[in-house]
Amino acid sequence: MKKVWIVLTHEFITLLSRPSYWFAILGIPLLATIAYAVAGRANSDSGTQAVVTQLFSGPQQVSSQGYIDPSGLIQHMPEGMPPDLLIAYPDEETAAQALAEGKIAGYYLIPSDYVQSGEIIYTSADYNPLSAQGNSAQFEWIVQYNLLDGDALLASLAYGPLELKTVSLAPEPQREENNPLTYFLPYGVTMIFYIVILSAASLLLSSVSKEKENRIMEVLLVSVTPRQLLAGKIIGLGVVGLLQVVVWVGTGRALLAAGKTTFSLPEAFQLPPSFLVWSLVFFLLGYALYASLMAGLGALAPNLREASQVTIVVILPLIVPMFLINMLIEDSNGLGSTLLSLFPLTAPVAMMTRLSAGGVPWWQPILAALLLAITAVLVVRAVAGMFRAQALLSGQALNAKTFLKALLGKN
Amino acid sequence: MPTVELSHITKSFGPLKAVDDASFTVEKGEIFGLLGPNGAGKTTAIRVLLDIFKPDSGTTSILGGPMTEAKKDHIGYMPEERGLYQDISLERCLIYLATLKGLTPAEAHQRIGAYLEQFDLAEHRNKKVKELSKGMQQKAQLINTLIHQPELIIIDEPFSGLDPVNTQMVKDLLRGQREKGVTILMSTHQMHQVEELCDRLVLIDHGKVVLYGGLDEIRRQFSGHAVTVRSSAALPSLPGVERIEQHNGSARLNLLPDTVPQEVLRALVERNILIEQFEIASPTLDEIFINVVTRPEA
Repeated sequence: MKKVWIVLTHEFITLLSRPSYWFAILGIPLLATIAYAVAGRANSDSGTQAVVTQLFSGPQQVSSQGYIDPSGLIQHMPEGMPPDLLIAYPDEETAAQALAEGKIAGYYLIPSDYVQSGEIIYTSADYNPLSAQGNSAQFEWIVQYNLLDGDALLASLAYGPLELKTVSLAPEPQREENNPLTYFLPYGVTMIFYIVILSAASLLLSSVSKEKENRIMEVLLVSVTPRQLLAGKIIGLGVVGLLQVVVWVGTGRALLAAGKTTFSLPEAFQLPPSFLVWSLVFFLLGYALYASLMAGLGALAPNLREASQVTIVVILPLIVPMFLINMLIEDSNGLGSTLLSLFPLTAPVAMMTRLSAGGVPWWQPILAALLLAITAVLVVRAVAGMFRAQALLSGQALNAKTFLKALLGKN
Repeated sequence: MPTVELSHITKSFGPLKAVDDASFTVEKGEIFGLLGPNGAGKTTAIRVLLDIFKPDSGTTSILGGPMTEAKKDHIGYMPEERGLYQDISLERCLIYLATLKGLTPAEAHQRIGAYLEQFDLAEHRNKKVKELSKGMQQKAQLINTLIHQPELIIIDEPFSGLDPVNTQMVKDLLRGQREKGVTILMSTHQMHQVEELCDRLVLIDHGKVVLYGGLDEIRRQFSGHAVTVRSSAALPSLPGVERIEQHNGSARLNLLPDTVPQEVLRALVERNILIEQFEIASPTLDEIFINVVTRPEA
């Protein structure tokens, strides 16, 4: 046990003394915090949706529009409408001059037969279907408001006659479907879990492979047993990975909590404390599973290059939830999502994605963790068998078939 | 009881028989040479001995019985090259490996400090191992082998990469260890080092033991029926001498089967030949090695 502890602390200290590790562990949360702070300062009084939209699409271009109304339709302006958003012009010539001078982004012409034809002409300086479409929604609202003689309530109902409210029996607060965070929050969690499990597990592969290439493995095996070495490495590098999870997930939670005041973030987007607990459970079990598999690869492959060629076989199940992320988020309680989050090899990422999306029945994370724990124990035992000295020093070529056979104890 | 005993060890990797029914013992307090050409099976034999590889058949005994975890702390092992972490500082690397051998960090720190001074590595203690020269790394590996004061030292090519000054220092160090009663099993290609240091040796070729015993005994075994004579005068033909070969300023006189060296010496004296050197011709270990390794299979 003492030697396991010595190996463990060595692995831990060695990794913590690398600047690249600190760059990864602190750099990413630091960048996220800076981006959040900058966006928060610029949008301290706007809603979350606007902030998220701005983070992903850059600052919004606000510009006045003009209109000419021979039909006499526009008699009222809705309350709260900025005064310079829509400027009336007596004729098309004046509006065209204002457009040429850059005072307006474009102008609408409401023909005198509008009520019969329903046709409105929009003229802009250049062709930009996206911005025209964006502006037309505002103008459409103004037209609708005036068609209903300035009755805001009626116009609002006519504009969107059905506001569907979904009621779920799950305890978590419900999220707005059209809020970008409904997608980006689980997406972020998926990415974090994929990266931390993979990077922590890959550390083990690289550690074992380097020791084989350095021939230090031979010196180590005259001091410790292969199992002591495996145990020390898995635990030591696991603690390093855990530190990364705590920092990343903790920063994420802190940013979301800060967003509550900075961005008026709805209650539904505050991740519950149970989420942090499940994060630790699924990280540790997922790490134990994938780190053992990677260690097995390192034990059998003669060098890091050959090990890397077989890595895809091991990490494929970890990638699957990434491909099916839309299903996991949009249909988080569907059959496919449930199966992915219960299947041990995909559970570490898939279940965390579903938990961040919300509404997962309480028994499912427990069952998933149980199945994952059983699989992790079986895999650790199988890999400990592979970690025999002879395998560690044989230097024989490795391929996917050899690895899977070794995992099943068939060589 | 021998410190190390290999008895009829066989170890194969697929169709390749790396060690084939090899047996030898290493006695306490001796320097024992493990010799053989590349790929002869020396490293495999060492790995079997250290319980890194399980033999297909045969038995090993080390420090009085089978290998145990506790015994590992009494063995110092230095593989042929590398064997150190390249990306961490020399001192940290040595402390880690020493603590795995049962030393406390404080003990390890103290002993490593002394060895670094002795090996002229003190000023490099904070450098990464990969920044050190090959010779420095070799010395660092020797420190790692000796740091826990082992009863048995197993070293593979200890003089590789060392300059003459450091080679002499390592030789003195190994002799010093022998005087303390430490058993040393040394695998090397440098025959003159074996001749200088080893008490006994084993030569392995194609996994089999082809030569085994004390150095003098082996020399005698391979000494031809000849004498070496150094003289400033030209040597005449002598009775009982089959032929004379000139070699490095000396003459090698190959004798007929029923001639004894004393008769040749007497004949030279009777002929008033000024003799500077007269000795029974004894082959070098290099010659014995080449002779044994290149001779056709029996």
